[in-house]
Amino acid sequence: MNQSQMHLTTDELELWAQGLLGAQRSFHLSDCSLCRELAQRERKVILELVQLPAFAPTAGFADRVMAKVKVPTPSGDWQPN
Amino acid sequence: MAWAKAGHEAAFRELVRRYERPIFSLLYRMVRDRALAEDLAQETFIKVLNGIKSYRPEFKFSSWIFKIANNAAIDHLRRKSLDTLSLDGSPSAETPEQMQATSLQVGDRAETPLDEVESRELGTAIERAIAKLRPEYRSCILLRHVEGYSYEEIAETLELPLGTVKTYIHRARNELRVHLEDRRE
Repeated sequence: MNQSQMHLTTDELELWAQGLLGAQRSFHLSDCSLCRELAQRERKVILELVQLPAFAPTAGFADRVMAKVKVPTPSGDWQPN
Repeated sequence: MAWAKAGHEAAFRELVRRYERPIFSLLYRMVRDRALAEDLAQETFIKVLNGIKSYRPEFKFSSWIFKIANNAAIDHLRRKSLDTLSLDGSPSAETPEQMQATSLQVGDRAETPLDEVESRELGTAIERAIAKLRPEYRSCILLRHVEGYSYEEIAETLELPLGTVKTYIHRARNELRVHLEDRRE
């Protein structure tokens, strides 16, 4: 069995889903419906994950943090903020 | 980072500004409660900034802060699973009346505006599927595909063997796929 006939590994499926798999191994997908289906399902999940939005804490979050942090002075002493 | 270590308040603020969204997002998806996630995020930043002198530059700063945030979430989830309330009321209740008075009434809590925000933000199929994952899987998959960390960086951040990280991520993706396909069928 040559390399293009071997089924893709889990790592290779992930690489393909991210568009990072080399042409030689990607070529296997044109001949193998099993790997093609797995790869497409993997890509769907990864796409949903990478499109997740970032959430922000409520306004004033940094001020609330800084109120409780001891800011060190350049000399190395700590001073309450 | 060097500026922050030297003790500049502006540098501290810049670190908070840069990391508040990714840290809060991770914690929110881990605990699924906005107010609690904000408390844990605050706790994380205070720990990081007050301990900045002990930061080792050979370790990536983002790995350090995500590690502290993830530990805070996992500790909370462990405590929560130990504190699970009995639906039948307090164990010290002796009479049926006391049992009734201390029993947990499922669904009797009025929905607050914050609940509505949470159900809008975390109500999509993918968010609900993430919530069903084990916490260890959840942090790995979020670091991998939301934060774009490599397997090696996740292993370093979460102090897990590389093989374990790979297993967790592969299992997490399989479980997510099953949850999402169940929904579509």
